[in-house]
Amino acid sequence: MNLRDADTGKILWQNSEDMSNPDIEHEARVPKRILKCRVVSREMNFSSIESMDRFRLEQKVLFKGRCLEEWFFEFGFVIRNSTNTWQSVIESAPESQMMPANVLNGNVVIETKFFDGDLLITTSRVRLFYI
Amino acid sequence: MVDLNRARDWAPLGGGATDARNGDGPYGWRPFDIREVMLLLTNCAVNAVGTPLTNQDYGLLNILKKLRSNPDKELRLLLLGLDNAGKTTLLKQLASEDVNHVTPTAGFNIKSVLSNGFKLNVWDIGGQRKIRPYWRNYFENTDILIYVVDCSDHQRLEETGQELAELLEDEKLRGVPLLVYANKQDLASALPASEIAQHLGLHLIRDRTWQIQACVATDGTGVKEGMEWVCKNIPAKK
Repeated sequence: MNLRDADTGKILWQNSEDMSNPDIEHEARVPKRILKCRVVSREMNFSSIESMDRFRLEQKVLFKGRCLEEWFFEFGFVIRNSTNTWQSVIESAPESQMMPANVLNGNVVIETKFFDGDLLITTSRVRLFYI
Repeated sequence: MVDLNRARDWAPLGGGATDARNGDGPYGWRPFDIREVMLLLTNCAVNAVGTPLTNQDYGLLNILKKLRSNPDKELRLLLLGLDNAGKTTLLKQLASEDVNHVTPTAGFNIKSVLSNGFKLNVWDIGGQRKIRPYWRNYFENTDILIYVVDCSDHQRLEETGQELAELLEDEKLRGVPLLVYANKQDLASALPASEIAQHLGLHLIRDRTWQIQACVATDGTGVKEGMEWVCKNIPAKK
């Protein structure tokens, strides 16, 4: 997974460890200045040994358990033994609505559920810390 | 005191208010989209310090903004072409990303942009021979087909032509506008776009609108022009 300033394309944070393990809550330490970016992109890289017909995900950004933002994405077919990326570009909220880093710190969780059709494959939870 | 002359200079940014005094904004001129101005300013600032323009002026977010008048809420661009044609590099160039470490795509790369309730999804599918049979799985609901050709790869001109011909015959892609990027024009051995067009038999296409655009995906040359064509040729939804 990586996060970029989408205006410059520069990577602000990246982590190549497997964040799909559903048994633990993963942690990401993200530089504070990401909150100043006008547009941010979030990229996820995933591989699959099996082919899938209706691969889709539901991603939620939770603040103290409350959903602030939600993405649904249907990939459809996934090739056997493939490695794929999905990048979503998000415009930031107006500065007046932006919560400061110290409020967000440790309180934001990105929850991603992966499905093949209606079958839930795994749930990934990543807690964000702004440093 | 409001300086009307200055206001008039700015007004066209908001969508063409020509007479400052007859506008409908609080100071007699139409309010403009602040982000358009921000983009303009950013570009000017970048120019002023002597570095080349960023890709913002034709980046994915901007494509989406240009499409705001389109009544459909979701757009799907499909990038295809042989392996090593430059599809992923092109996609990264559109997002201003570093293009120095692109590796062969063993699956797909998707970029999704969401702005004002509009969604743009660009699908880049790997071009290796063993992956090509799966291309069909990604045809559905495509609004524009972008086909990338490595113009320096003379040996595989015929192969790329055959693959394109198959795409054009597919029912699911019927009538979908086609943009061909004649890529790698910076290489001495690259054939010009006109010759590529001939090899691909583009002049024989009757059932869809098409365009060929010379480009260098690694530095962005020509990419903007192609995307402008894309913006103008998004078909109205069936």
